[in-house]
Amino acid sequence: MYRYIIRRILLLIPIIIAVSFVVYFIVDLAPGDEIDAIYGNELSAERKDELREELGYNDPLVVRYARYMGNVLKGDMGTSTFFHKPVMELYFNRFPATLQLAFWGILVALLIAIPLGITAAIHQNTLIDTSSTVLGLWGMSMPSFWFGLMLIILFALKIGWLPPFGNEGWSSIILPALTVGVEQAALLIRTTRSSMLEVIRQDYLRTARAKGVNERRVIYHHALRNALIPIITAAGIHLGVALGGSIVVESVFAWPGVGKLTIDAFYFRDTTLVVGCLILTTAFSSVLMMVVDIIYAFVDPRIKARYTR
Amino acid sequence: MDEKLLLDLKDLVVHYVTDSGTVYAVNGISLKLNQRHSVGLVGETGAGKTTTALAILNLVPEPAGVIKNGTIHVDGNNVLTMSEGELQKIRGKDVSMIFQDPMTALNPVFTVGEQIAESIRIHEKVSDKEAMRRAVEMLEIVGISASRANDYPHQLSGGMKQRVVIAIALACHAKLLIADEPTTALDVTIQAQVLELIRSYREKYDTAMILITHDLGIVAETCDEVAVMYAGNIVEYGTLEDVFNRTKHPYTEGLFNSLPNIIERRSKLTPIPGMVPDPTSLPEGCIFADRCSYATDACRRTAQEDKWLSDTHMVRCSRYQEPNFNVKRKIER
Amino acid sequence: MAGKMKLKNKDSSFWGEVAKEFKKNKGAMIGLVVFSLVIIAAILALFVLDYKTQITKLKLAEALQPASWKHLFGTDQFGRDIFYRILYGAHYSLLIGVCAVTISTVVGSVLGILAGYLGGIIENIIMRIMDILSPIPTVLLAITIAAAFGQSLTSLMIAVGVISVPSFARVARAAVMTVRDQEYIEAAKSQGASELQIIVSHVIPNSLPPIMVQATMRVASAIISASALSFLGLGVPAPNPEWGGMLSEGRNFISTNTNMTFFPGIAIMITVLSVNLIGDGVRDAMDPRLKR
Repeated sequence: MYRYIIRRILLLIPIIIAVSFVVYFIVDLAPGDEIDAIYGNELSAERKDELREELGYNDPLVVRYARYMGNVLKGDMGTSTFFHKPVMELYFNRFPATLQLAFWGILVALLIAIPLGITAAIHQNTLIDTSSTVLGLWGMSMPSFWFGLMLIILFALKIGWLPPFGNEGWSSIILPALTVGVEQAALLIRTTRSSMLEVIRQDYLRTARAKGVNERRVIYHHALRNALIPIITAAGIHLGVALGGSIVVESVFAWPGVGKLTIDAFYFRDTTLVVGCLILTTAFSSVLMMVVDIIYAFVDPRIKARYTR
Repeated sequence: MDEKLLLDLKDLVVHYVTDSGTVYAVNGISLKLNQRHSVGLVGETGAGKTTTALAILNLVPEPAGVIKNGTIHVDGNNVLTMSEGELQKIRGKDVSMIFQDPMTALNPVFTVGEQIAESIRIHEKVSDKEAMRRAVEMLEIVGISASRANDYPHQLSGGMKQRVVIAIALACHAKLLIADEPTTALDVTIQAQVLELIRSYREKYDTAMILITHDLGIVAETCDEVAVMYAGNIVEYGTLEDVFNRTKHPYTEGLFNSLPNIIERRSKLTPIPGMVPDPTSLPEGCIFADRCSYATDACRRTAQEDKWLSDTHMVRCSRYQEPNFNVKRKIER
Repeated sequence: MAGKMKLKNKDSSFWGEVAKEFKKNKGAMIGLVVFSLVIIAAILALFVLDYKTQITKLKLAEALQPASWKHLFGTDQFGRDIFYRILYGAHYSLLIGVCAVTISTVVGSVLGILAGYLGGIIENIIMRIMDILSPIPTVLLAITIAAAFGQSLTSLMIAVGVISVPSFARVARAAVMTVRDQEYIEAAKSQGASELQIIVSHVIPNSLPPIMVQATMRVASAIISASALSFLGLGVPAPNPEWGGMLSEGRNFISTNTNMTFFPGIAIMITVLSVNLIGDGVRDAMDPRLKR
C-alpha cells in the first residue's frame, strides 16, 4: 500500500514543477515587472534599467526561473511588493481560511447531492427524478458569484440573520459555504444519480433481497456502499476545484483566504505574490485530489487488494 | 408417505411490460412439490424458468414485471399476497435461491464471510460473533477453507464463488431450495462436486428443491420429478420415469432426440427444427405447433389444456385427446 | 413466425436520426428557442441601440432608479438604462462562448486526434502537456493568461479558450483510439487509402459525436468563466456592459439597488441554462445506448 502512495507522490512532483514553470512563464509575459511595481515613477527609466541589470532582471527567463526555484527549495518565494512581507508567510496565514471554506463547501454539496441523487435514481423517470435533474441544471447555469450576492441580499441585508462578509464568528462561513456547496452540488447530483443507477441494476442486490434483506438496507448498505466509490472520487475533484476556484467566492464575501490574496495581488501588480499564490494553490489543489484518490484506494477493496498483497 | 405439500403453485401468469411490447414470460403454469422431493424444471433459455423461480420469492423485478394471475402457496401461505415484511422473513429462510451467475451474484465490497453471516443474522436471533462463526462453518461445509472468510469475492475463483452463493442459500436450512442453473457456469469436475454438495445437504435437512436447468443429464441424476417448460408453458410434467421412459410431449421428445447418443452412435444430430417463438407475440393455439412434426390445423387454432394421463403424468398437447396418439419415442425396459 | 421487426429506413442518416431524437426532447427544444431569442436580441441590440447615447452616456439626473416603465430594469449609478445595457452586453457573452469554444475545439481536437492516431512520442508529449495544464484550476489559469495579455475581449477569449483545450484533447484522443481499432480502418488501408485520407474521411467524422457533445457543454462554462473574469475585473473593461462587469459594479449599491445585481445575473443564468439544455439534448440524442 505504501508503494502506491509513494508512487502517487512521486508522480505529482514533476507535474507541479512543470506547472510552476508554465505559471512563471505566462506571468512573465505580462507587461511591467517588480522594479516598476516597487519604484514606479520614483526613479528614472535609466536608473530602473540599471537596477534591472544589477539584480538580474534582464537575465534570460530560464535563468531567472532556475534562480526562483532554487530559492523556493530553500523556503523563500520572494517578498510581496505590496505587503512587504514574505510570500510564504502571507500565503500560509490565509490558507486555513480557504481550506475551511473548501471543506465546508464540499460537505454542503455532498449533503445536498447524495440524497437527491439517490432519490432520483430510485425513482427514475418520475417527477422527483426530473425535478432533481432540473435542479442540477439550474445549479450549473447559475453563476456562483451572483448566487452569493443574492444570498447576501436576502440573508444579510434584508433579513439580517447572517453577516454579509468577512470572517468573524462561526456564522460567517454559512453563506460562503452555501455558495460553494450549491455550485459543486449541481454536478455531483448527476454523478450520484448515474452511479446509483449503475449499481441498482446489479445482480448482487437481487441476491440480497433473496436473502430477506429489507429494502432500506439493500439501498443504503448494499447499493450505496458500491455507488459511493465513484462519488468519492468525484468529490475529491470537486474539493480540488473548490480550493482552486475559491477566488470568486472569496471576492464576493471578502473572505480572507488565499483566493482573495491572489486577486488582490493581481490588482496591485504584485507579480511575485501572484506567481507564488498561483503555484502554491495549484500544488495544494493537486495534493488534495491525490489524497482523495488514495482514500478511494482504501475504500474499494478491489484496488486495496491489488496493492496490499 | 404422508409428506407435506410444501409448494402449491397454481395458474401463474407473469408478463413483462416494456416499451417495445409485452413479453409473455409465463402463461398459466401449475406446480406442486412435496417436502423432501425435487423437481427439475427443464427448458431452453427464455422459457420462463427463472421468472417462475423469482415469482416464488415474489421477486419478479417490479417496474417491468407484472404477476397477472396465480397463487403460490408456500407451506400454506400465499406468497403473492404477503406483506413485504412477511416476505422478508421467508426469503432466505423458508425459501432460498441459488442464482445462476456466480460472477455477479456477490457484492464486491463485502467479504464472503460477511455475506453469509448477514443471512444468518437476519433470520436467527444470534450475536454477530455467533453468526460469523456459523458462516465460517458453512464455508467449510461447501468446501472452502475457513481462512478465506475475510476474502472479497474477486479473490475467489468462479467455482468457489458459486459455492459461496450456495453457502448463503443453505445457511438457514431452507425448506425449499430453488437452484437456478447452479452448475452452468462451472467446469464439469466442479459441477459434480456442487451437485453432490446439494444432494448431501438436502438429505440431511429434508430440503425440497426446484432445480432449473437445460441439462437433462443432471435432472436424471438429481430429481424425482420433471417439468418441461416451453415458451412460458409447462408442456409435460411427471416423475422421472414418466418423462424419460414414457415421453409424451413432442417437444420433450425433441429434446431427447437432440442429445448426442453415444450408444447408438448416429452420425447426425437431430435438432428441433425452427426457432423459439417471439415472446412478445405468441400464437393463439399450441405454442409448439410451428416446430411440431405431429401438429394439425386444430393444434394451431385451439388453446392447449392440461391432460392428466395418470396420477403423476401431465401433458399439454391436444393430440392426446385422440385415443391412440403417442409420440414415436419409446424406451423398452 | 418472426415478431415485428423495425426495418431501418435506408435513407435515414446518422445526423438525421440525431436531429430527430433532439426534437423529441422538450427541454432541449426550449433551450434552443431561448438561445435563439438571446442571439436575436444580441444582434438587434447591436444595430438598434446606439452605443454612445444609450449605453455609455452618463445621465446622472436619472441615476439609481428602480424598475419602471421608462427603464424596464431601472438605471445604474450613472443613469444608464440597465435593460438596454443587458441587451447590448449579450453579444460579449455569445462571442466569447462561441469563439473561445471554437478555439479550444479546434486546437484541442487536432491535438487529440494527432495524439490518438499517431501514438508514440507525439502522443506522449501532447498528453503530458495536457496533464500539466489540467491541474491548474480553471479560474487561476484564466487569470494568469488574462494578466499576461491585458484586459480585453481578445485576451478573455484566449484565456477561456485555453482552459478547455485539455478536455477536448482527451475526448478527441479517446474517440480516435476507439475508431482506430475498428475494422473499416483496416479495410480502407488494405484498399490503399493514404493516412491523410483515412484521417479525413473516417477518423474525423466518427470522432465527431463526443467532440460535439463536449463543445456544447463547454460553451456554457465558457460564458460563466468569462463573466466571472469580468466580475473580477479581468475581462472586458468598463464602460462596456459585459454582464459580469455589470454585476461587479452593482455590488457597490447592493443594499439600495438590488436590480443592478439581480438582472445581469438572471441574464447570464437564462443564457447558460438554454445552452445547457441544448447540450444535454445533443448528448442524449447522440448516446448510442438510448438507440432502440
